[in-house]
Amino acid sequence: MELLSNLFEGFGYLAGVQPIFAIVAGVILGILAGAMPGLSPSMGVALLVPFTYSLSPQIALILLVSIYIAANYGGSITAVTINTPGTPSAVVTSFDGFPLTQQGKAGIGLGISLVSSTVGGIIGTIILIFFSIPLARLAVKMHPAEYFALAIFGLTTVASLGGKNWPKAFLAAMLGLLINTIGIDPISGVKRFTFGTYRLFDGFALIPALIGLFALSEVFTRIEEFKLEKGEETKFEKTKWPSLLDYWKLKMTIVRSSILGTLIGIFPGAGATIAAFLSYDLAKKTSKHPESFGKGNPEGVAAAEAANSSSVGGALVPLLALGIPGSASTAVLVGALMIHDLVPGPMLFVERPDIIYSLFAALLIANIVMLGLGLFGARLWVKVTVIPKKVLMPAILAISIIGSFAVHYSFFDVATCIGFGIAGWILKKYGYPGAPIVLGMVLGKLAETNFRRAVIMGGYDIFFTRPVSLILLLLAILSFGVPLYQTHKANKKEKVEKEA
Amino acid sequence: MELIKYFGKGPGFWVLLAILTVIFLGIVFIVLKSSKKRYAGRILIPVFFTELAFLFGILALGFPDRGDEVGPGIVPGLWIIGILGFSILLIIRALVKHEDKDPKWGRTDKVAVFIVMTIVYLIIMQLIGYNLSTIIYLILGMYYLAYRDWKVMISLTAGWILFSYFAFYRLLYVPLPRGLLIEWIFS
Repeated sequence: MELLSNLFEGFGYLAGVQPIFAIVAGVILGILAGAMPGLSPSMGVALLVPFTYSLSPQIALILLVSIYIAANYGGSITAVTINTPGTPSAVVTSFDGFPLTQQGKAGIGLGISLVSSTVGGIIGTIILIFFSIPLARLAVKMHPAEYFALAIFGLTTVASLGGKNWPKAFLAAMLGLLINTIGIDPISGVKRFTFGTYRLFDGFALIPALIGLFALSEVFTRIEEFKLEKGEETKFEKTKWPSLLDYWKLKMTIVRSSILGTLIGIFPGAGATIAAFLSYDLAKKTSKHPESFGKGNPEGVAAAEAANSSSVGGALVPLLALGIPGSASTAVLVGALMIHDLVPGPMLFVERPDIIYSLFAALLIANIVMLGLGLFGARLWVKVTVIPKKVLMPAILAISIIGSFAVHYSFFDVATCIGFGIAGWILKKYGYPGAPIVLGMVLGKLAETNFRRAVIMGGYDIFFTRPVSLILLLLAILSFGVPLYQTHKANKKEKVEKEA
Repeated sequence: MELIKYFGKGPGFWVLLAILTVIFLGIVFIVLKSSKKRYAGRILIPVFFTELAFLFGILALGFPDRGDEVGPGIVPGLWIIGILGFSILLIIRALVKHEDKDPKWGRTDKVAVFIVMTIVYLIIMQLIGYNLSTIIYLILGMYYLAYRDWKVMISLTAGWILFSYFAFYRLLYVPLPRGLLIEWIFS
């Protein structure tokens, strides 16, 4: 009952011009960011963070989560229409979405992706609302040893994030963790790896690093790869939308994928892309027509989109309940919360329930607004895809530079952004993912401070004597081991098939 | 321990940096001359991280120990061990050809020019201010990428300047650089 009354209060907070405007603006900007190839949801959120400095914490969060939700859907527009996923998770949507367009059914693909995203987002939010409270209550009782084990668990999910490239993903995560130790040690006050530069006393700011790793590295990759002489414009075909019966036929796929997507989203490091891949795989295995997957099966579009949108709610569970970001976008949200002197985690439920419940209400409303705007403005959204890359790339650079500068009004942050951009570009070329670096930078402080506190409180064996800590560490080993075993098995199978 | 202290700060640090650079260049030379030439990037990136971890490890060993159970160097040490472990694993994987061959690079010259342009943009921004430098940067950037529709170039640049002025300068109070030269002329 307390939860429902708090939620009603949350809805009450939204009954104003400013919150509704923030939701609508966030959804529009999110769809644009998602639809714009090269701009991921995390980049969209990161680029808009500087705009929230002068806003109230509620409005700032409402705006950013609306962008986050809508960007996941926006990515599917370009995936379906021109086979260019606007977001990494939309790669899976393109498997069946683009064949639908090739068959002259772009509207079917777009319609199913929109409705699946909306339903997935709502289911993810409902799970978030009901599960974040018990998790938060549990988290309040957690010992530093358990927090450390949890951070390690979050890091080990990098194994599945990396796939075949798991050593590179782990190396990237370790680099993020090491970068996080640069600056004044929070416990002893010793200057670490500052090289006598006072600018490094606070370490590297997260936002410029993030903009560099995601936005700039993508720009450099595009400049390096794209063919200047090729025409880039595309036409949006006139097409009809799916009927209610078409949606109804997909109900089980959407619900199942939404639940799976939310659960995967809860695990830090997993995220929308893995959720989409696993849901697609599950939908294929449980479908009556698995052979039509990859050839324009609407189930494939529904599974991918429901999963990647529901993972938003899932990713917000550890962020709000434990202070652990479950994705790159939530890592940016941590930064946004901190800018407003809010520390994500269990205490936020106690100290600022108004923020939490207005956020829950905003998530539900944002999904509905997204459905309305998506149905109304499909023709308008798709115009983004016709912006020539030659215009888009310098514009992204200009946005990135002003976005980094605005963090501390410092050119050092801009230089950081460019440095991370160059490093991200080179590393990406050789298969080193950028997301684990961000995950390491965000989880590093949680891991280090709790590790040291736990050891000070009970020595090194405390991690193995406390049951929750031990279970989490065992889960971490499993989380580390299973994807590696699966990769090993897949490699072996591939080798045998090649030899045959 | 004395040697670690020597390399950890002052001229010793620069000596260590020079040694590591020479070693890295030596490895670059060897790899490029060997049969593993096509895996050069796959080998050299983890080699670079190995050396970086070694450098940071030396620095971490030099952090003052105040008798704490877990000093300031313990946790960085753990991450450094992790970097070393995964880097060595990646080097081995590349050497035994468990990794793919190096990817082909595209127009790196264009990227390099763009990076230089961005750095020059940041420098001149401090001289002539945000607005003027951004106009030049955006138009030159689009022109360099072979875009020739001047109407779009000018309207987009003007739109961005207006947007950044109202959104960042007026609304968010971000002190966009006015430019030393401009300030000097108008003062």
